[in-house]
Amino acid sequence: MNARRLFEVFRQEFRHSLRRPLPWVLFVIVGLLAYGMSTGNATIGSGNTAVGGTKAFITSEFAIAQLVAMLVGIIYAFFVAVAAGMSVIRDEELKVGELLHATPLTPAEYVWGKYAATLAGFLVVLAGNLALMILFNHGVPHGENAEVIGPFAWPNYVRPLLLFALPSLLCMAGTSFALGTLTRRPILVFAFPVATIVLGVALMWNWSPSWLSPAVNGLLMVLDPTGIRWLNETWLNVDRGVDFYNSAGVGTDGLFWMNRAVVVFLGLGAVLLTQWRFTATLRGTRAVRRGRVAPVMAVMPEAGTPRSEAAPLASLGMRSGATGFLAGAWQVARVELRELRTHPGLYLFVPMILAQTLSSVVSVGAFDTSLLQTPGGLAAEAMNTLTLLVCLLLLFYTVESLERERGTGFGAIFYATPLRTGSLLLGKALANTVVALAVLLTALAGDAILLAVQGKVPFRIEPFVLCWGLLLTPTFLVWTAFAMALFALTGSRYATYALGLGALTLTGFLQLRGRMNWAFNWDLWSATRWSDMSVFELDRLPLILNRVMVLGLAAFFVVLTVRLFPRLEADATRAMHRLRPAALARGALGLVPLLVVPLVVWAVLWFQVEQGWEGRRMKKLAKDYWRQNAATWTNAPLPAMAAVDLDVMLDPPHREFRVAGHYDLVNLNGRALEQIPLTGGFAWDSLSWTMDGVPYQPEDRSRLYVFTLPRPLAPGGRVRLGFRYRGGCPTGISRNGAGTMEFIVPSSAVFTGFAGPTLVPQLGFSGEIGPEAKDRPEPRRYPDDVWRDTLPAMLPLAETWFDTRIRVTVPEGFRANATGVLESETTSNGRRTFTYVTDHPVHLFNVVAGRWAEKRGEGATIYHHPAHTYNLEGMMQALSGSRRWYSEWFGPYPWRDLRLSEFPALRNYAQGSPTNITFSEGIGFLTKSEPKADAAFWVTAHEAAHQWWGNILVPADRPGAVVLSEGMSHFSTALLVGQLKGREQQLAFLRQIEDQYANTRQADSERPLTRIDESRAGDGRIVYDKGGWVAWMMMRLVGRESMLRGSRDFIAAWRDSRDHAVLQDYLAHMRRYAPDSTAYDAFVQQWYWEVVVPEYRVSAARAVKRGDVWEVRARVRNAGTGRMPVQIAVVRGVRFADAGKQQEPWRDARATVVLGPKESGEIVVRCGFEPERVVVDPDFEVLQLERQKATARVDLEKEAVAGPPAAAPVRHRV
Amino acid sequence: MLSIQSLVKVYPGPVAALQGIDLDVPLGMFGLLGPNGAGKSTLMRILAGLLEPTSGRVTLDGEDVLARPERLRARLGYLPQDFGFYPHLTGEQMLVHLLRLKGVSAPVGQQKLAGELLERVNLSYAARRKVKAYSGGMRQRLGIAQAIAGDPRLLIVDEPTAGLDPEERLRFYHLLAELAEGRTVILSTHIVEDVAVLCPRFTVIRDGRLIAHTTPREARAALDGAIFEGTVTPAELPALRRARAVTQAILVEGRHRVRVHDASGAPPPGFEPATPTLEDAYLVMMRASGGANGAPAAGAPEPARTGRAS
Repeated sequence: MNARRLFEVFRQEFRHSLRRPLPWVLFVIVGLLAYGMSTGNATIGSGNTAVGGTKAFITSEFAIAQLVAMLVGIIYAFFVAVAAGMSVIRDEELKVGELLHATPLTPAEYVWGKYAATLAGFLVVLAGNLALMILFNHGVPHGENAEVIGPFAWPNYVRPLLLFALPSLLCMAGTSFALGTLTRRPILVFAFPVATIVLGVALMWNWSPSWLSPAVNGLLMVLDPTGIRWLNETWLNVDRGVDFYNSAGVGTDGLFWMNRAVVVFLGLGAVLLTQWRFTATLRGTRAVRRGRVAPVMAVMPEAGTPRSEAAPLASLGMRSGATGFLAGAWQVARVELRELRTHPGLYLFVPMILAQTLSSVVSVGAFDTSLLQTPGGLAAEAMNTLTLLVCLLLLFYTVESLERERGTGFGAIFYATPLRTGSLLLGKALANTVVALAVLLTALAGDAILLAVQGKVPFRIEPFVLCWGLLLTPTFLVWTAFAMALFALTGSRYATYALGLGALTLTGFLQLRGRMNWAFNWDLWSATRWSDMSVFELDRLPLILNRVMVLGLAAFFVVLTVRLFPRLEADATRAMHRLRPAALARGALGLVPLLVVPLVVWAVLWFQVEQGWEGRRMKKLAKDYWRQNAATWTNAPLPAMAAVDLDVMLDPPHREFRVAGHYDLVNLNGRALEQIPLTGGFAWDSLSWTMDGVPYQPEDRSRLYVFTLPRPLAPGGRVRLGFRYRGGCPTGISRNGAGTMEFIVPSSAVFTGFAGPTLVPQLGFSGEIGPEAKDRPEPRRYPDDVWRDTLPAMLPLAETWFDTRIRVTVPEGFRANATGVLESETTSNGRRTFTYVTDHPVHLFNVVAGRWAEKRGEGATIYHHPAHTYNLEGMMQALSGSRRWYSEWFGPYPWRDLRLSEFPALRNYAQGSPTNITFSEGIGFLTKSEPKADAAFWVTAHEAAHQWWGNILVPADRPGAVVLSEGMSHFSTALLVGQLKGREQQLAFLRQIEDQYANTRQADSERPLTRIDESRAGDGRIVYDKGGWVAWMMMRLVGRESMLRGSRDFIAAWRDSRDHAVLQDYLAHMRRYAPDSTAYDAFVQQWYWEVVVPEYRVSAARAVKRGDVWEVRARVRNAGTGRMPVQIAVVRGVRFADAGKQQEPWRDARATVVLGPKESGEIVVRCGFEPERVVVDPDFEVLQLERQKATARVDLEKEAVAGPPAAAPVRHRV
Repeated sequence: MLSIQSLVKVYPGPVAALQGIDLDVPLGMFGLLGPNGAGKSTLMRILAGLLEPTSGRVTLDGEDVLARPERLRARLGYLPQDFGFYPHLTGEQMLVHLLRLKGVSAPVGQQKLAGELLERVNLSYAARRKVKAYSGGMRQRLGIAQAIAGDPRLLIVDEPTAGLDPEERLRFYHLLAELAEGRTVILSTHIVEDVAVLCPRFTVIRDGRLIAHTTPREARAALDGAIFEGTVTPAELPALRRARAVTQAILVEGRHRVRVHDASGAPPPGFEPATPTLEDAYLVMMRASGGANGAPAAGAPEPARTGRAS
């Protein structure tokens, strides 16, 4: 290889690459991103989210590594692909290839020079990118983000560049270069970045279910071209604490270097392969696949070809006429389709997209279990994926299609034909639409097969037609038109790619930053949610308007394209004249009519968004409410609810309701009350009030209605406050397709009665309404002995027991369920009225209505969508079992009825209100229940447990109390799963919630269970999962019967108390039931007052046979925190054999060790079977991190000829 | 009639490719002769509606084809100087595709018409081969086939015989001659023979200006008695070039067979009067316009008038 020639190729290519728009547009994009990210939006998920807490730096090596790996994998990849892949193709199109190769330039010099120059161009951009990051992070940092900006350190930027970006760029440039050069197909250069994104999103980056084998996990880490999976799996998935991330470098291991080596080898190997093939084809030993640049065959007329004297041309009777618009378009489309058909791109991209679309089979839902696939769910879930990938494909195909005439040299003839420009563009667009159609049809077929294989939910075409046909098609139309307009405007393939990719990146960035709304969300990204029960009822209007706007824009772009399409090469002088303001204005005026529709619809959408329930108007009302009342009414004494009487008329078709009723309030405070505040709904009108039956006008303090009593309400005194109004929920449209907990839509209505003033007034002032997250104060800190005070209930409404009478009127065909027992059901004037009264007082109430089918069971009824019958048996088993076993374990169920009602998945949640549990369809009903992991059973058992932990026992409004409702419900679930489903499912449940806790906890934010208040990131899972797990461990400590008796006694003691319980009350109570109070205190201190989690590792596991006995030795280390006795088992076989399979039975031998933080010891276990593995905590008795790593395979050593048996069956050293 | 008025084309640079062309092209074959870079292809591309001029006007039968190029395209047959085809189509498919785009119909149908046209350009035997396998000459013939398809009112052929062997060139001459009946055919070429064979009238263009507008006969007649032919050694040729207007010098058996132009009728020693050819005339015109090796020669054909050439 001649260095001078190599450098000459490099120099020319490098200069050219810097003159192209690609790197500059990329530079602008990454510059904007660098600025955006410097505002603190790219931190790793660690740190203390409390005010003043240590935050994860955006400048740490981990944060930069994560960001750089993502940027390269998602954004750089496409730009590099265009530049590298088109490098040789461009020379062929410019017909300089043969000239170059007639010189002494060797293929190696040519190939490596071009590859190196392309790579160097993007390394310059990357260096600029890092420079901008340094500038924005350290040079001109945002004042507000000082806490996330760490000290500047070169290694934090340079090491990620060298370790992550450079190898990935080498790989991406190399593979795209090879694809472009070897196939000479421009479209194929995008194969690698598309595959990277498809596989990355579906598989590589985040997919890591708890059951994934370490070998497969390791393989995926090695194969990921970006290194993101390795980073996540090795360092980020389990939180190491913010101090670690802020100060440590990204430590590497063998897997990392293997991954980087594979990536570099792939990139450089691809270039080497290119060199070899290029050399072979250049000298004619092999044929180039691509026809356009194929060596021209000198085809001579065949010998003896007759050359008859032809008749005059006139005799042919030829006539010319203008080609019809549609006929011309069809002809263009036909030829384009012929090109597509013979093009490998389609056959490469479609399976990729299919794989991504079908990746939902590995997506997980509640409890990390697979989701039950439904046509609607599949159609809606695939929308984001299809949007991104099809838009990318359309960009590539559209640009290459428009470029084809120029590339083949056919343009001069083609553009001189009478074919109308509109026909030309329509024909090409039609052909490219086939790409989208092929993708959609393939995905449709894949989904149909998926549903058939699943065998539970029948295939229906309607959701696909609706989601992909009506909603996605306008997106594809506008995107194609936009790409065409860009090409027409710039006349450059590279500029179009750069601007198109830039537009997609910007859209994605706005989406990620939460800046998108219906008026701008042209691709409907994450704006739709499917419900079998309520098909786009919530946001139907903005959906329609948005699609109309997008279609209008598409029409505009089409006209713009037709006007600007460079069929006629413009004159520079005239072009300058056309750019004069007056001329421009005249041109723009001509386009105004086309902009009328999209602009008007855009304005309407913008107005609607602003006026909607997430808009500025509502925010202002809420903020006014908070600002006007927070200081005066926070924690003001309130009366308690004594009785509720409601008359609710639901009008689902019009999304309205009318409410009339009253609250009977009683003063249980020690002193008289002069005023009573009630919070009213912001969307109520025709509002009127009464006090003790007399019309009354309370003071309206921005929707906090303050009733001043004529005489102070003495302790024990009662007052009746009546109300009447009409309203809707939610009113107006959302901002960008958000779901909502409470709603009335044409198919259903759900009102919790306590989550906010939507259906009924709320007692008192709510500090939750009004402040934005940044304005919200840190939760109040309480002294450790706060639990000794008399504490208020979690909700003012739940302060005492009260009775309810709720009449709900719904249209015929609907059924309404409310708290209590059904007293009467009447039908009049086409409306049904259901009257519910409580047969035992309650602390909460709710109302839900829908068109349901019923399933009755033992002591329970499920109201469900007629088609959602898949999990009814399991759910009913859980409901009935809950009534029976929870009653036995925690005290009698006080009510007669237990209903469970399904509502549309406008938000996925379930609530266990007394007698009347509500479930979103996405919870339970559409969970994929498996024999080994019946998630529908689990979630039903959890909600049913709230009848005891939450409804009978109402926790206090203090930190830690929520563990009594959520954590204890999880604990109850574990018990019930074991009782009814067996040991295997019980361990599966414990494994799932342990994983969820481990994967979502933020080590620095995590507080002890007694202090947790759900205000910080990760609190939710701690409350549920850790709360449940620790109770499970407590049961192991105090014994099952003592635990149940203690819990039962605790509920009985607190159910009628004016004081409300927190976790400390429960811990103090349970101490009496502990057989070893010292051990109990140590346990409580460790698990409830501190934050500890063990993390066990096993190494050096080996066994030697001595006679008939195997002696197994292994080293066990607690890499985490906490000190717990834990069993170490030497095992062989399968513990829970699959039904119908002959598998080796389970055998184990155990030892127990106690290891404190960072302590390790050697265990020796003797067993009478040949050991396979050493497993820590086989019975799930100790909550721990990364349980999958707490095991090791046993190495079998040669049989000892003679030797003493182990001195003791178990020993360990610490 | 095709009428060109004050046509100017300036490329960024600036490079004045056309510096005010005025030309009326009548029915029949019309030649546009000029050296490389004279502006021929620029003019052809403007006439074909592919290139926007800086200023000027072009009308075909009174209709402004610059303002409404779509009206021209339906009546246009165009063979560019440099072109290609979709490589994945066969010659026949490519031609049928173009017939459809041009709206060409025939009683025998488009498929058979394509076959007939391919026969006219001697490509029938390769009709089913993909275009990517065609040689340069075959591609040129396919281009000719598409250009003559239909009943174009205006046929523009830009360097059409480049890449054709003598036999095919002859065949193409016949085709063009046949087509020239009742329509305007503009043949742009730098090959004098093409014009000599085909064009009753032609224009010479140089540096974006029309320098002559004449017929082959007039051009030759203008040199009657002024062309002399003789033989010189290679060593003598440079001195002869300096002293005389050499129109042609062909090396034959180590000596130059030289033709010189002398409007005064005084040949160099040893030179004999010779019959003028169109090539002589063309080269004298080039010299007259200040192009080829020296000062304008007296007795050259009249340069195009400053007014309209027709």
